[in-house]
Amino acid sequence: MTFAGWTLAQLWPLMAGGAAVITALYLLRMRRRQVVVPFAELWERVTRQSESRRLWRKLRRLLSWLLQLLVLALLGLALGDPRPQVWLRDPYTVAIVIDRSASMGAPSQVDPKRSRLQVAIERAEQEVSALGPADRAVIIAAGSLVEVIAPLSSDASTLMVGAHALQPQAGEADLTRALALAGDAVSGHEGARILVLTDGAIDPAGASALVDCAGGDIPCQVASIPGDDANVAITAFAARRYPFARDRIEVLTEVRNLGDGKAHVVLEVDADGVSVGRTELSLQPGETKRELLPELDAARSRFVARIRHADGRDVPVGLPQDDEAYAVVPPLSPLSVVLVSDGSNLFTEAALLTLDDHIRLSGATPEAARLGTAKSMQDADVVVFDVGAETLPQALPEAHTIIFDPWRHETSPCPIAKAADVARPFLTEQDLDHPAMEHVLLKDVNIGRGTTFATEPGDQVLVRSLGAPIVVLREAAHTTVAIGFDPRQSDFPMRTAYPVLLDNLIRYFEQGRAGFVASVPLGLRREVDLTTLGMSADGVTHVSVLDPAERVTELPVEHGRVHLRALTPGFYTLTSADGPLAGAQVQLAVNMADVHASDLHDRLEELELPAATDAEEPPPADPLGSGPLWTFIIIAAAVLVALEWAAYHRRVTV
Amino acid sequence: MALRDRFSAARSRTGAVVPDDEDLFDEAFLKRLELLQVIARRLFSGKQRSERKTRKTGSGLEFADHREYSPGDDIRYLDWQVWVRLHHALIRLFEEDEDLPIRIVVDVSDSMRTRGGLKLRYAMQVAAALAYVGLANLDRVGIVCASDKHHVTLPAVRGKGRIFRVFEFLRSSARGGKTDIRSMCTRVAAQSAQPGLTVVLSDFYDLEGAFEGLNMLRFRKHEPVAIQVIDPTEADPTKTGMRGDLRLRDCERDVARDVTLSPSILEAYAQAHERFCAQLQSSCRSRGIFYVRADTDVPFDDLVLRIFRAGGILR
Repeated sequence: MTFAGWTLAQLWPLMAGGAAVITALYLLRMRRRQVVVPFAELWERVTRQSESRRLWRKLRRLLSWLLQLLVLALLGLALGDPRPQVWLRDPYTVAIVIDRSASMGAPSQVDPKRSRLQVAIERAEQEVSALGPADRAVIIAAGSLVEVIAPLSSDASTLMVGAHALQPQAGEADLTRALALAGDAVSGHEGARILVLTDGAIDPAGASALVDCAGGDIPCQVASIPGDDANVAITAFAARRYPFARDRIEVLTEVRNLGDGKAHVVLEVDADGVSVGRTELSLQPGETKRELLPELDAARSRFVARIRHADGRDVPVGLPQDDEAYAVVPPLSPLSVVLVSDGSNLFTEAALLTLDDHIRLSGATPEAARLGTAKSMQDADVVVFDVGAETLPQALPEAHTIIFDPWRHETSPCPIAKAADVARPFLTEQDLDHPAMEHVLLKDVNIGRGTTFATEPGDQVLVRSLGAPIVVLREAAHTTVAIGFDPRQSDFPMRTAYPVLLDNLIRYFEQGRAGFVASVPLGLRREVDLTTLGMSADGVTHVSVLDPAERVTELPVEHGRVHLRALTPGFYTLTSADGPLAGAQVQLAVNMADVHASDLHDRLEELELPAATDAEEPPPADPLGSGPLWTFIIIAAAVLVALEWAAYHRRVTV
Repeated sequence: MALRDRFSAARSRTGAVVPDDEDLFDEAFLKRLELLQVIARRLFSGKQRSERKTRKTGSGLEFADHREYSPGDDIRYLDWQVWVRLHHALIRLFEEDEDLPIRIVVDVSDSMRTRGGLKLRYAMQVAAALAYVGLANLDRVGIVCASDKHHVTLPAVRGKGRIFRVFEFLRSSARGGKTDIRSMCTRVAAQSAQPGLTVVLSDFYDLEGAFEGLNMLRFRKHEPVAIQVIDPTEADPTKTGMRGDLRLRDCERDVARDVTLSPSILEAYAQAHERFCAQLQSSCRSRGIFYVRADTDVPFDDLVLRIFRAGGILR
């Protein structure tokens, strides 16, 4: 303790003089107020009983005197402006990086009732409470987002007010950015230091950042917050429509035991709040199991998978964030089909009209198709060219196409090249395994004329005529099906196989549509295509996103896509803010689904960090706080004077 | 002329400054006092005829007994009817109506004069009221104002017209000195050739001699009545706000005591005062002495017209 104000040599005379004055005042006889009473005898009798307390009265007088001397001593001490030695050491600046990844929500080894993050916050508080008046600290929370919780300050309350509210963030910690930010924050300050509070369950990127930090210019220390590494996680969860049964759904769940012991869990799957599956799983260490729930009703679109302890314990199985996963099946909108026909073959139109439940059929003349005036073709999903003797347009539309007799004329936009003209072709072979040919029987079909095609690698020949491809399917950005004869020149339209083939082809095209939407992983900003979610992006410039915590965020739409950063697992609702379909809503599932984030094993030892990186024990808290000490002494003196005042008026002291 | 007017006229004649206390007797109050009568439980023999019955036979109106005629008896009291029927000379005896000797002793010591003389004024008002009642009933009323220093006596007077002498006496009597109930009563008893009703008005702040004085009167065949005049503020000092380091000086003696008054001590004094009063009351009642506690916050007329009647001093 040193005195920054008056020196002891100055203080002693002052205090001695003051003590002498106080003592002299106490030695002086007190002048009492005189009161005339009519019955002094009775007063004497009553007060005589209190005479026995005369010793206490003397003591009270002594206590009062000592109290005044104490007040004088405190005032003298305040004049001296005392400062403890801890305030005189070199100041330092520390950046405290708190790992708030999902793994920090797991129980700690120190106290299983508290999470690792709570222990880390307590450690940070100890560090902050040891700051001297000239020391500074900054607290950075490293989750999938990196945030500065408290700016550089030496005030413990300012620093910790945000830290106490920290919650684990689903996903892995972005230590790369956090450590870079910490380095920038303390760089150039006296005694700069970085302290990382983590459980060591970090991803390779984080590990690499930690190694870089340890080898950097600024001293970097790591305080490990150990905990149990047992965890079972849902690492994948998805639901999709069956390609050929759009009204049915199958759900796939992948569960992995990331701990070092055997695990028994129960997997439950709910669809819109109704349980649709329950399975008990027994997992060896590191084992992954996939569970498929087939043939579910597509009327339900929101699926939630949960794992629980098989023994019924109502506690999370390791990390709570990976015990639940979410999936959404997008709504099914009808396929837009345009029939380009000269009107001479009503069989094609009739066959397509039977599919009215699945498609939205519109028509166009060959001339309109050639001139490009058929607007319906611009938005069409499938265009069927059945133009007979008419010529095809010079370019095919941006859609799946079915073209009957594409090489009737010398030139054709059909990407599948002609091989040869064939008179009276016979349909001799058909690929019965191809979905487009399911239930299609082409036996004894009479055809007047046709053309065969020259196939390329990747082309799928559906039907051959004496070995030559006559019906070919080519998959590219858009699928093209070329049928090498005109139905008008055959009896094929009279057969059952004709509408079945058209139906199969339309369903085949439909497979490529969004029957499945992958869930969005947490953390990093992801690009989400609104069309794949089932929302038309035409004219939409903004969407509002409602997250599971009922928070609404406005996001801009660029080229039909939004950039979404999700920090909470669950269902997100996207609502179009404008456009012709303003108010339309689609849903999106967000899952942690990150094996690294679910892996609770401590990786710090594997990093082989230098010994200097190990954080020392937290320093003892500075009991004197950060303010000038003399202010506290003055307050103490004032409190004592107030107590004396109150005691005097309560007749406790004299 | 109304009594009050006459009293005012008397004041203006003397030119004396009459204390405010005497203004409290208004005409209506005095008329109500005329209806009252001082009660004595024992029968005392008076000197003059009055309206009070005695054991004597004499010239009263109420028949008492017969006795044999003896020469010299006034033949006006001969019962002629008995003579006619029995030829036996009997004299009719009548009860004698005599007056009651009433002495009112007022303590004028310094303890009665604290807080602006509130207790003394109250005591004098009570004394004047009792005197008026006695005078109105043709009793002989004597007043004594006494302390250890003074002992002033108004010889017994009779008749309502003498009330102004009583007032004048009370107003002009000397005051001061210590409370000494015993010597005061001893002297009153010694002065009284004829026992009677003796009313002592005091605060009785005399730990040793308060009851002994009253008992002395009883021993001398008086019928003492103790009226203890109490100032409630003095009796319970917790209401006064006295606290802290004080020097308590006795108003009668030149002694002082340094005390530190805490709420507990004030409470203890109030309880001790209450015990003192209760003990005096208990002692009086055990000896058949009338005791009335007169708190100065009780309206004066309420004390005289209600409490004295309820206590059996007046009817």
